[in-house]
Amino acid sequence: MAVTGSILELCNLTRRVGDGTPARAIVDNFSYSFGFGRLYSIIGPSGAGKSSLLRLLNRLDECTDGSVKFKGSDTREFAPCELRQRLGYLFQTPHLFDRTVRDNIVDAQPHLSESKISRLIQQVQLPSGIVDAPVDNLSVGERQRVALARLLATQPEVALLDEPTAALDPANTEAIERLISSVVTDHGVTVVMVSHSRQQVVRLGGEAILMVDGQLIEHGDAVGLVKNPGTPQGRRYMNGEPQ
Amino acid sequence: MTTPGLTQVLLAGILVVIAIAVARYWRLPVIKDMAFGSVRGFVQLVAVGYAVRFIFDIESPWLIMLALGIMMTVGAHAASGRVKSVKGSFGTCLAAILTGSLITLATMLVFKIISFDARYIIPLAGMIIGNSMNASALVIDRLASDLRANRLAIETALALGKSWREASQKFHRDAARTGMVAMLNFLKTVGIVALPGAMTGMILAGADPVEAVLLQVIVAYMLLSATTITSVVAVELTIRRFFTRHHQLRIDR
Repeated sequence: MAVTGSILELCNLTRRVGDGTPARAIVDNFSYSFGFGRLYSIIGPSGAGKSSLLRLLNRLDECTDGSVKFKGSDTREFAPCELRQRLGYLFQTPHLFDRTVRDNIVDAQPHLSESKISRLIQQVQLPSGIVDAPVDNLSVGERQRVALARLLATQPEVALLDEPTAALDPANTEAIERLISSVVTDHGVTVVMVSHSRQQVVRLGGEAILMVDGQLIEHGDAVGLVKNPGTPQGRRYMNGEPQ
Repeated sequence: MTTPGLTQVLLAGILVVIAIAVARYWRLPVIKDMAFGSVRGFVQLVAVGYAVRFIFDIESPWLIMLALGIMMTVGAHAASGRVKSVKGSFGTCLAAILTGSLITLATMLVFKIISFDARYIIPLAGMIIGNSMNASALVIDRLASDLRANRLAIETALALGKSWREASQKFHRDAARTGMVAMLNFLKTVGIVALPGAMTGMILAGADPVEAVLLQVIVAYMLLSATTITSVVAVELTIRRFFTRHHQLRIDR
């Protein structure tokens, strides 16, 4: 397998939906390269196709045109189940299976040792005693952390996070942001995160990508793009004006 | 009991008149359905009576098979009409009913529980196909609604690297059980709460109650087999319509 400088390479990635002629493109001719061990925030107005793009990367949906290369190989060459373990996906509203925290983690990675489970719980800053708690008793913030621990249990090389803090209060948001930063810096995982919050993108740093109507409008250093956008769409979005 | 003739049937019509009067008094919006249903039921049953008598008289294996084919097709059509939201449900219902019915009937013939005689095959197949029809419609409806309602749970499992079968396993089992639950409840209460149709019919026709019970036991086992096989086949065929070969859930968002 030829490893290029990019962990993920998107080439003219397109997904059309609906019966219209032509069908509506929710991701439109999107080309971009994601580097190893870096943090990327995808921002843009509602309905811009941010979540749809993440779903294409994880192959939960199929693209209509274009391709995604993972470490130089087309993702269609991988078995979908293997690919999804290597490109972990965290949904905006995490779904935990109706059992204990431990069961949820082991469900993702059946042969985890007890010490590895403890490390994961510690890594997502949950108290060790929570491991045998039924997930029904957890708060929203705790549920999101368990979902993150479950994702990390599969040791993904890329973590695709779909608005992981959308439902959280400021304290939990801050904690999850710290976790995301540590996943990138301490574990070398490439994080591609959808965010609605410009402030969050600035706090997390890394690279930012602005998406409008399924298209990549501009990209660059997160702080620079939010504070000093280079396109009219970028300025409208950053000023909170309609596109 | 008097052997039923046209006079008895017309007299039994008094019961329909009483039912319609009650419905009218309560202004229930079903009076037309009751009247049409009673007449239609009479016509259908009389037509079937003559058709079955014709099949009994001819005793042709081909005619028996043709009758079975028609019964299964009509059953599949009726079942699929109840699950229109699932594409290809007619084919699924037909395949499920066909498999459940044929395996059950074939087993009964191979072990000589019944003989290949229209007098046995036609009424027993009627019971099998009727129950299989209900089972297949219930299974498809339950599975489709569960998959639609649990999209996030299924996609979470898929995103963690599970196969489509692993991700939706719980819903297969729940749906298959739904198809069998009427039969399981029947087995729990049979003889205690209700005396089932075949047995009641035999007793009314003057048969020995013990013989009637033995036939009923055979009928119960036969229906258990048919509904179980139908349910499982219906699940297996339906679930594939909801996933792509790349383990993607196929529900329009």
